[in-house]
Amino acid sequence: MKKNKSSILLTTISVVSALLILFPIVWLILSSFKPSSELFSYPLRLFPKNFTIDHYKSVISGGFFGYIYNSLFLAVVGTIITLAISAMCGYALAIYRDSIKYTNLVFGVFLLGTLIPGETLTISQFSVISFMGLYNNIWGVILPVVTTTTGIFMYRQYYMSVPMSFVEAARIDGASELYIFRKIMLPLAKSTTVTLTLFSVMWRWNDYILPLLVLSDQKKYTIQIAIKNFIGNTGVDWNSILAASVISIIPITVLFMILQKYIVGTDTASGDKG
Amino acid sequence: MQKRKNRMSHAFWMLIFPSGLLFFVFFIIPLILNIILSFTNYDGWKTMNFIGLSNYQEALTDSRFYSALLKTFIYAIVNLPFKVIIPLLLAVLLTSDKVKFKTFSRTAIYIPVLLSSLVVGITINWMFSQEYGLINFLIQQLGGQPVAWGRQPALATFIISLASTWASTGFYMIIYIGAINNISHDVYEAAEIDGVSAWQRLLKITIPLLMPTTFLVTLLSTVNLLKEYALIQGVTQGGPGTSTTFVIQYIFDKGFNQSLYGYAAAMSVVIMIIFAVIAFIQFKVNEGGEFTK
Repeated sequence: MKKNKSSILLTTISVVSALLILFPIVWLILSSFKPSSELFSYPLRLFPKNFTIDHYKSVISGGFFGYIYNSLFLAVVGTIITLAISAMCGYALAIYRDSIKYTNLVFGVFLLGTLIPGETLTISQFSVISFMGLYNNIWGVILPVVTTTTGIFMYRQYYMSVPMSFVEAARIDGASELYIFRKIMLPLAKSTTVTLTLFSVMWRWNDYILPLLVLSDQKKYTIQIAIKNFIGNTGVDWNSILAASVISIIPITVLFMILQKYIVGTDTASGDKG
Repeated sequence: MQKRKNRMSHAFWMLIFPSGLLFFVFFIIPLILNIILSFTNYDGWKTMNFIGLSNYQEALTDSRFYSALLKTFIYAIVNLPFKVIIPLLLAVLLTSDKVKFKTFSRTAIYIPVLLSSLVVGITINWMFSQEYGLINFLIQQLGGQPVAWGRQPALATFIISLASTWASTGFYMIIYIGAINNISHDVYEAAEIDGVSAWQRLLKITIPLLMPTTFLVTLLSTVNLLKEYALIQGVTQGGPGTSTTFVIQYIFDKGFNQSLYGYAAAMSVVIMIIFAVIAFIQFKVNEGGEFTK
């Protein structure tokens, strides 16, 4: 009986915390469907009295699909490159750790990437991007960020846990080093790949500083820069920014829901014993 | 044997090459360039003369730089405990056998993590807007006066802090959940048999065993707090006045808005050193932890 009571209490605390944390987003979404007359007059209501999609229409007619396309391009292409090069690098650092002398040194250099935040290098990174002629070019915001120490680290950690006998056996069978990587070892790291996919799509979709600096032509803006432009010197265009923000949340949330069980763990009601 | 060694060496460098090249071009070169620029008066366009240590001398006597730095430190120190403790408590709660609907709660708490810093700022700012914001509406319903959230430095910083913690809680919670799931269940069963209370188990077993994770979360939070930038653009844009202009924004303002690239580069070097020292101290305090294992 006592156990049951504490179970109800703890469940209530956790569900209420979760709902409180979710609430600002619910409020944002519900607000985006309210006409201006309801947004800016008291009393406030939770649900819109006169449901409207006018804000969405006006944001979309302002060319928002173009920005979505640019962001999708950045997210998809950036993620494919990140997955490919991180898997290669992390694999090499783990599998050849005993046979190649420099693995730890190379890994140490990559770890600099976590020690020194990119923000402190933005000024000179921007100079390099300009020098390479990538100013106002989508590749100027893709190439500088695709190497992530986190991604390399994740794959390295995974491949450290794979028994070396897998590789040895394949070598004895005469498989080439790259064949072993592509056909045997890469498919094994599926869960790492899924997690990094979500992270990378999220990072690229949400990238802010580099796109803001590098992309000058409005046609090339990503969705974040378009949202930022609703914040003017005189104030915020709330009607548009609410709808635009909601649109920006949708794709990444859908992806998260699809991959959710890999991130937050599957149904754990049975406990994670063992 | 030698032939096989060569083949492996060849494969190693081929696999490292793409990451290595991009890392070299967009990280190592900017790092070196940044140090070189810090000794010049580069304006981002044509002028570029070596002026020795002038930028550093200027930075060390720039009271606004100090003020931005000080505000950033206070912001980081005040928020750090919340960034670490809230996710820890939620993780403990959401790994307990007694709690139901865990998947729902975990998912809901993680969703703010998916938002861009800019949209995080906007979402929280919308709730706290002075006129017609939900929070001020509720305050008025309870008989209070509307609060000018954006006009007072302390309140503006509070909203930024709230937004920042809100957006990071789910991420750190998931890190903690992973670590808690890795703790052997036998430890708890033994403790339970010995009659150790749930509260004691948390304080004496779970939290000490989670120290390496707490180190990682503390390190990540510290760095993320010190470099807070995009989120502020969605809330106060550094205002009122310059009261929420933290150090990264100050550097960007100098560099990109005032074209003082050389000076901004020098400040970046100073910040980098500070970041490295902080990471080093935390690393030492934890005697290494598990981070680089």
